[in-house]
Amino acid sequence: MEKTMNKLIRVIGLGIVGLFSTLLVANSVFANEVNVFSARHYDSDVQLYEKFTAKTGIKVNVVSGKDKALQKRIKEEGKDSKADIYITADAGRLGAFQAEGMFQKGASSAALKKVVPANFRSPYWVGIAKRARIIYYNPKTVNPSWNMSYEDLADPKYKGRVVIRKSSNIYNQSLVASLIKNNGEKKTAAWAKGMVNNFARKPTGNDRAQILAVAAGEADWAVANTYYLALMLSGKKGAEQQAAAKKVMPFFPNQDGRGTHMNISGGGILKHAPNKANAVKLLEFLLTPEAQQHIVNNTFEYPMIPGVEANKLIAQFGLDFKQDLKTKVSNYGKLQAKALKVMNEAGW
Amino acid sequence: MIKRINFWVIFAFLVPLLVAIPIFTVFLSFFDTTGNYLDLLKDTFLLKYLSNSFLILLGVLSLTFIFGVTSAYFVSFYKFPGVNFFKWALILSFAVPAYIYAYSLVAFFENYGTAFSILTYLFGEGDYNKNIPKFDGLIGSMFSISFSLFGYVYVLTRASFVFQSHNLIEVGKNLGLSSYESFFKIILPSARPAIVVGLSLVAMETLSDFGTVDFFSISTLTTAIYNAWISFDDLTTANQLSFVLLFFILLLFILENLSRKGAKYHQNSKGNKPIPKIQLVGGKSILATCFCSILFFCSFVFPVSQMTYWTIKFPKYFQDINFWSLNMNTLLLVFLSSLFLIIFSFMTNYGNRVSKNKLISYLSTFSVSGYALPGIILAVAFITFISWFSDFLSSIFGFNSFKNVFIGSVVGLVIAYFVRFFSLSYNGIKSGYSKINNSIDENAYLLGYSKLKTFSTIHLPYLKTNILLVGVLIALEIIKELPITLILRPFNFETFATKAYSYAAQDLLEAAAFPSLCLIIWASIFILFISKYILSEK
Amino acid sequence: MNPNFLEIKNATFVASEKNKINNVSLTIKEKGEIVCLLGPSGVGKTTILRTIAGLQELKSGQINLKGKTISSENFNLEPEKRNIAMCFQDNSLFPHFNVMENINIGAKRKNGSKFNYSDKDLIKILHLDGVQEKYPHQISSGEAQRVSLARSLLSRPDLLLLDEPFANIDTSLKEELQKKIKDILKEFNITTIIVTHDSYEAFFMGDKCGILLDQSLKQYDEPYNIHHEPNSLEVAKFLNRGVFVDVKVVETDCAVHSLSHPTLGEIRGKLVNNFPVGTTVKLLLQPEDLRHDDQSKLKLEVIDRKFRGTNFIYTLKTSSDEKIPVFVHSHHIHQHEKSEKFGIKTPIFIDHLVCF
Repeated sequence: MEKTMNKLIRVIGLGIVGLFSTLLVANSVFANEVNVFSARHYDSDVQLYEKFTAKTGIKVNVVSGKDKALQKRIKEEGKDSKADIYITADAGRLGAFQAEGMFQKGASSAALKKVVPANFRSPYWVGIAKRARIIYYNPKTVNPSWNMSYEDLADPKYKGRVVIRKSSNIYNQSLVASLIKNNGEKKTAAWAKGMVNNFARKPTGNDRAQILAVAAGEADWAVANTYYLALMLSGKKGAEQQAAAKKVMPFFPNQDGRGTHMNISGGGILKHAPNKANAVKLLEFLLTPEAQQHIVNNTFEYPMIPGVEANKLIAQFGLDFKQDLKTKVSNYGKLQAKALKVMNEAGW
Repeated sequence: MIKRINFWVIFAFLVPLLVAIPIFTVFLSFFDTTGNYLDLLKDTFLLKYLSNSFLILLGVLSLTFIFGVTSAYFVSFYKFPGVNFFKWALILSFAVPAYIYAYSLVAFFENYGTAFSILTYLFGEGDYNKNIPKFDGLIGSMFSISFSLFGYVYVLTRASFVFQSHNLIEVGKNLGLSSYESFFKIILPSARPAIVVGLSLVAMETLSDFGTVDFFSISTLTTAIYNAWISFDDLTTANQLSFVLLFFILLLFILENLSRKGAKYHQNSKGNKPIPKIQLVGGKSILATCFCSILFFCSFVFPVSQMTYWTIKFPKYFQDINFWSLNMNTLLLVFLSSLFLIIFSFMTNYGNRVSKNKLISYLSTFSVSGYALPGIILAVAFITFISWFSDFLSSIFGFNSFKNVFIGSVVGLVIAYFVRFFSLSYNGIKSGYSKINNSIDENAYLLGYSKLKTFSTIHLPYLKTNILLVGVLIALEIIKELPITLILRPFNFETFATKAYSYAAQDLLEAAAFPSLCLIIWASIFILFISKYILSEK
Repeated sequence: MNPNFLEIKNATFVASEKNKINNVSLTIKEKGEIVCLLGPSGVGKTTILRTIAGLQELKSGQINLKGKTISSENFNLEPEKRNIAMCFQDNSLFPHFNVMENINIGAKRKNGSKFNYSDKDLIKILHLDGVQEKYPHQISSGEAQRVSLARSLLSRPDLLLLDEPFANIDTSLKEELQKKIKDILKEFNITTIIVTHDSYEAFFMGDKCGILLDQSLKQYDEPYNIHHEPNSLEVAKFLNRGVFVDVKVVETDCAVHSLSHPTLGEIRGKLVNNFPVGTTVKLLLQPEDLRHDDQSKLKLEVIDRKFRGTNFIYTLKTSSDEKIPVFVHSHHIHQHEKSEKFGIKTPIFIDHLVCF
């Protein structure tokens, strides 16, 4: 019986020692580090950070997670937060976080200003890669005119032939936000109703599922981001999906107007960043040709800086399309809530 | 009562209090600013959120009831081919978290998905997509959650059947009932408390599910609270929604507690002989075998096969994973959390036993509701509370901030798990304790044993099976846990669950397959480890 | 002067809101005395034991053991520090230990007292052969009670508390065990308080008995006195072996007192309590008080007859409709049927005239 007691004490002791040692490891201070909170989950990003460490000796620590939850954590940690950079895949989110005063100036350093277009940066954050939200169609059944627009998808003639994901999706919210910015809330509300009327099915699945629906003949038209098609074409998702992707054609809308809706992945330096200098270095590194090349080849996004070729899977669809540079991406954040309301009222 | 205050009582008071803090925080932190989310919500979503939650709940309860009770009935009363296999194989469904089930479901049935590949392989090229059934997220969520949770109903109902004092079927026959009649008139009602306990556990887990409904983009009460609180900073709305959710949960909680008492009443502790099972023949035997096979296939074989298929088909993703550190991280969390949960549950239980104080007993009852609080809400409440507390102490006493000790650290994770799973471990130990008569403690004291010695020589050895069981149940929950880990983890810290989630989030379910598979394997090992206790017929 | 071994002073024991025992004072002067507390079930006998053991708090008053206060209104010495052993009525063995292990847990208590019996002796004495290796759930409740007793004895307590120790034990074994236990307790001078509802057991085991009735300790005396000189109507009624009949006090001056009853005539003996001549009092008539005599002129009608093994108990009716019990040895050949006449030996002489 004494033995049981001793054993118990030993196990408790072991647990406490274990706890403290993990505490130490968790809190061990690397003199030279930069801490990234990322709502982008790409493994390739981590490989990129490793390259950065190899080059500069600065260790990159990452926590990835759900966008808003990460923001909440940063806000609550306040000035004790160890986070230096916050990276996410939507301009609206960057703008909203900026509006809450969570970023500090300095993300767009002098070096970055030279290479990143003004529309895709602010003093508080900088775009790292671009993506376009485009229309996909089934070339066997339909053939869009060259000047087809997002607005046209609400045309009653496409009744039952359009697929797009749910309104809760942030990419949709940004797209509709840009429509509100350009066409006004009223017109956009009518457009949303038209879209819902044209739905081939209740919105379901992610962007890739929309492309697949067109491939499978469930619909003629889909709205999805560019890199999803490239991902399928790359074969990373298997031969069947590769074959399916080939049945679908991408289409860049609004070519005779403001241009195709663009969004970014971007990052900003947080207000209480303990390693600001390193954070600037990391952002600058991410916008070097080397890093950009790595990004575009892995995530199939468009490069942010000139002089870097998009991956050939995405480049084959043309790179000279007109991008919407007029609608400032910083508007997305302000109008996302309105966009959500518009879509919900339409029953999206 | 002053005479009785001692080390144990203090524990019994403090532990539930600490556990209750984040739960309080969810509500107390809401009396602050407000936003515009409610207007938006009132017009459009609220009804949808409520109806989604309700529909999923209804669907899951019906499915788990059918799956759980039918399989328990077959397995407990009849002999048919494979019965001894199904008896334990059906609990393997616990190893597959609902969100991983959802991954498999989508992957299999989507256009050009696995089903398409199989059809192509079997019958050559063809346009099969139209013939593959599609279902929307609501149905998908229902099935995913049902297949991963029906085990609760199965295990509890089965235990209730096995522990019946008489062979109910024979009693029924004696009374001239057909086996159909005796099932509905005798067997089912007699197991009702156990079934209700199982269903309320299922209901609580369903309401607090985040991973599955998030993957299917279904808005439920839980995601509404998350959105109101986190996305819109609208605390008033979050508060109101939380109260709705809490009301639901409270209802279930009361139901569960009441039924638990009933369930106890039904089990007689002495003189149970295993029920002689009836041999099924012919069509009935085929039916039973088919039902159990299909259930086992759907709940376990299917997701495992899907994940295995991908792991083999896409070996490239294999190399990207730091297998060793994933294992170590997962096991570290399991070890630390179970250790602390078990130790503190013991102390709280024992303190409760020693003090017999009503306040303490109420507090413990309240604190165990942490289990019903969705993990994601709890994690954010935890962050909010720690920040507030740290700022408060800094402003009053000039303490250094300790946020970093608790947020983004293993310590914080273990504490959050502690709050979430305290109920599991507290009740697990409690059910063991309820079998130890109070006079046994008194006897020990009268024989000169101190409280500590009574605890270590009488209680610990007697409850060692309980400890094992509770430890494994905690391990299972922690291996599968996603939202808390995701928000509270330290830098560069991945578990199988977060890794799988992270791949799923970048639309690479193929890469999520390997960590998912590892997760299922670990969970299965733990389940097999305790299956003989869960399925004990003594 | 040595202090009393155990003193209970003005103690109030609380079992529940409604059920308490007030103002109990009781002294055990010498080590080794055996005290039996007798009372109906539900009166709170067990509460008293639990409070003495320290498992429950004392509401008011004081309990001293060997001159040291162990319980008072605001002090409660932990049970494990009292060196008091208690056997519970219900099974309270440690379920994960077998019988032998359970018994030996008692032996591990560290104190100075001597106890010459080993675990094996007790197994024999208590008829527990054959169950040593069994676990508590495999033995009968009577066996469990004996195991519990063995465990308590082996722990050599200063004070042993037994709660209905023979309740679940077969009658045939009961008397033998009572004798053996009493011998052991006496041999090792173990002070014991036994709680029971069985007056035979209390009278046999106890050096002293306490009668608990109506939330108080009614009488605390030697068993002989309790039986023959109950100090109140309630105690007499509780012991419940006779009836009360109305009699008139005739003569109290001489050594032999005299009472008169309308049917029975003169009753002589020694009055336990004093009454003035001429008052009407209630006299306790116990079955052994009246003797049968077929030759007697005093004849009463038989209204009931019960066979009790050694004795018949006849119930007789007086002219004032009182029903009087009388023992008759069961070998008596001449049996009286119902409604027959039954002679009673006169003059009636009763040693203890218990009147109220």
